[in-house]
This record gives sequence, C-alpha cells and structure tokens, in this order.
Amino acid sequence: MAAAAPAGQGPRWEVFKQDAAGKPHQAVGSVHAADPEHALLMARSVHARRPAAVSLWVAPADAVFAVTAEELEAAGPWAVEDGGPNRRFLAFRKTSHRRAMTFVDHVGEVEAPGPRAAVAAAMVAFPEPPALTWWVVPADDVVASPEEEAGAWFDPARDKTYKQQSAYGLLAPGKRKRVEDG
Amino acid sequence: MSRPAPSLDERERLEAFEARIARGEKIEPGDWMPEAYRKQLVRMIGQHAHSEVVGMLPEGFWITRAPSLRRKLILIAKVQDEAGHGQYLYHAAETLGAGRDELIDALLAGRAKYSSVFNYPTLTWADVGMIGWLVDGAAIRNQLMLAQCSYGPYSRAMVRICAEETFHHKQGKEMVMTYARGSAHQRAMAQDALDRWWWPSLMMLGPHDSDSPNTPQLVRWGIKTKTNDEVRQEFLDEHAPELMEAGLGLPDPALRFDEASGHWAHGPIHWDEFWNVVKGNGPLNAERLAARRQAHEDGAWVREAMAAYATRERETA
Repeated sequence: MAAAAPAGQGPRWEVFKQDAAGKPHQAVGSVHAADPEHALLMARSVHARRPAAVSLWVAPADAVFAVTAEELEAAGPWAVEDGGPNRRFLAFRKTSHRRAMTFVDHVGEVEAPGPRAAVAAAMVAFPEPPALTWWVVPADDVVASPEEEAGAWFDPARDKTYKQQSAYGLLAPGKRKRVEDG
Repeated sequence: MSRPAPSLDERERLEAFEARIARGEKIEPGDWMPEAYRKQLVRMIGQHAHSEVVGMLPEGFWITRAPSLRRKLILIAKVQDEAGHGQYLYHAAETLGAGRDELIDALLAGRAKYSSVFNYPTLTWADVGMIGWLVDGAAIRNQLMLAQCSYGPYSRAMVRICAEETFHHKQGKEMVMTYARGSAHQRAMAQDALDRWWWPSLMMLGPHDSDSPNTPQLVRWGIKTKTNDEVRQEFLDEHAPELMEAGLGLPDPALRFDEASGHWAHGPIHWDEFWNVVKGNGPLNAERLAARRQAHEDGAWVREAMAAYATRERETA
C-alpha cells in the first residue's frame, strides 16, 4: 500500500438544510470532511448554529450535477445518456434572482439512467416556475441527519438567545437604560 | 508579443454578461464570466475568508479572561461565528475553481492578505466591546454593500453573515455603553479602546476612491456596489454621533458635522500607517501568522486520523 498523502481538508460535501417540516431542503453551502458522518457534524456546526433547522442532508460535491439556464441554452439540443438502468435522483432548482441566503431548493425526485437525463426529466416533471439553475444528485449519495435524534441535533441552538441580535433590544446611547452586565 | 484582441464571440459574450448584471441578475457557477471577473472575486473572497479566520485571534485571546459567564458565552458564540463565516466564504471562492487547501496554503505562506485591522493588539477587555461596535460595525457596512454583489455565492454568504454579525455589533455596543456609564476606571478603559481602534476602523474600509483605480470596473461588474469612501461615509454617519452620545470623545480634532451635505467629515487618515500594516509591518502581523501556522500544524494529526478512519471504513464496507 502506498504511503498516504498528507491529509488536507478532505473532500467537499454540499449541505442542504431544512428549516421546518414541510419546507424544502435548501443548498446552503459546503463543508470539507473525511466521510458523511463527519460532513453532517461539520454541517451542523457551520450551518445550524442558530434556529431554524430540523434536518440536514450532505452529498459529495462530485456527485452533484449542476447546470444553469445559460448553459442549457448554449448547449442546444440536450443530449442525454441512453440506456442503462434507471436510478433515483433528487432534483433541486433556483428560480429567482432575488437576494437570498440559500441557493437551490429541493423540488422532488426523478428516475433516469444518468444525470443529464435526470435534468431533462426534472424539467418535464417540474416545469414551473422555470429554473435558473438545476442540480440533480443520485439519491443513494445523499446522507441525512438522524431523524430520531433531531432534538439533540438542533434544539440546543434555540436556547442560545444571546446569539440573536433581538436579545439586545434597541440600544440608544443617549438614553439611560439599565444594562445587565457582570 | 501583443495580446490578441477579444474575438467577436468573446465581445458578444462580454456584452451579454454586462447586460445580465445591468438587469440585476445573479451570475451563478457555470455561467460565462470574464476571466478578470473570476480572478478579482477569488482574490477578494479569499482575503475576506482569511480575515474571518485571523479575526478569531484578537478576541479568542480574551475568552478565558471574560469578566462574567454571560460575556464568556457571548464571546465564544462570536468567535464560533467568525469560524463559520470563514467557511461560508471559502465555499464561495471554491465555486470559482479555487481549492480549499490552496487557499489555506496561501494564507499560511503569507502570500494572501487579510484585513489590516486584525494586526492590532487587544490590550484590555474594553477592546473586545470596541471591536464589536467599531470593527464589526465597519465590516457590516461593507458586507451589506457586498450582499448586493452580482456573484450569487458571494452575495448569499454576505446575506447570511450580515444577519449574524448584527449580534456582534450589538453586543459590542452594549458592552461599551455599559463601560461608558460605569466607574471612572471603566470610562477610561472605554475611551482608551476607542482612541486606539477608531483610526484602524476607518482605514479598514480601504484607500480613498482617488487611490482605488480598479473601483469603476468593480462597480460596473457589480462586484462592488459602492466605493470605499461611500461605505466609510455610512460608517462615520452612523458611529460618530452614537459614540459621542455615549459620552466618549473621538480622537480626531478635525471631526465635524457638515451642515451643507448633512454628513460627518473626518480629518486626514494616516495612510502610511495603513500601507505599513498591509505590507506586513503592523504591530502583530508576524504573531498572527505564527498563531495560524501553529494551529494548522497542531491539527494535522486530527486530519490524518479522520482521513485514515474514512479510508478504513470505505475499504471494509
């Protein structure tokens, strides 16, 4: 066995956060981690320090197939993979240029032999509103935070109200106001 | 050898790109962009990420010295946020093709810059409050501007960071206001901290527009949406009156409110000091880099263990 290369930051994992039951998982950024379990822990520290989160997904960045509307247009006829067994893909899209904290939202699932075909299938399955960016990720590559431990994972952030700017009220230097301090 | 003129195709693409920005569209990874746009963003976002990471050091020093449990919890949360903000920003740079290891190597080797303000020492506990009020106050002004940026991943990182940094600003303001109303000793501590942090805070927003030749191009491409002097003016208009209302004196004899423009005006900035710090000769440049390198080396065994564990799990799966 060859000597291991000096360990760097490890592979990159895309992170998807769900704010509440019934809302879509949304792409919030990425973390570097050695394995999916490590990636989920990193994702919680980086992306769920404050409410609200009820679930996290991570997927290896290499497993994400991304295409923008501009790329689709430039590509002309969209060539898809032919044949092969169908696989399940999760589809995500971005639909607005508005300023936002999150990128693509989960819209649903499609079956296709490959990622290009999955994008084509997603455009048929979820035509409205038109997507500015599509992401498709093989369902087998997505790892979720443990549902039965959601409380232990996400509730502590709720109690740390001192991290919220609202905990400090309106601070007007000219007005005398009792400020608690140690 | 002369540079080839851009081909017609390239010029059309540039026009289409600039039209997209003029329409207020966000450029996303995968979209066509001029190489100069990509390079400028990698440089800016990388520096910004490094600033968040190095920014943990001046405050991290005070965690074990916090005067109360409440203040300790707040400071730990704030330093954790800076670590997280560094992660958001490294991610944004990576969407442009920069590698995480490469970015971190550039910081540790001293090739990459970070905000000059973190090369000043935190001498007393009052500095922790003053950094929140002034340094984070200036950073928020800059970041609110960058949240309008045309590059999607950078804009999103900024929106999230601004939402979290508002807590940093307010906890600092609260702390300084408490000291400014406290004992004579506490008031003196607050004033001393203000005397030392005021000018570095004004300088951290960058050189005057007359000395920033790249700004018009950055504004045209929506990388910046305001100039350094415009952001500095916003910072000054917000902070000068509030610091004075708190009973503190600003260390600028030329500071005045200009009735005609409705804005505050500051005296001359000592740019020699700014450039000296940027070039690596500030009070703590060497110490900050040494601390980062030490932390990186001390963490090597953890990264190796994680990689070895992941390899074993894969091989035995």
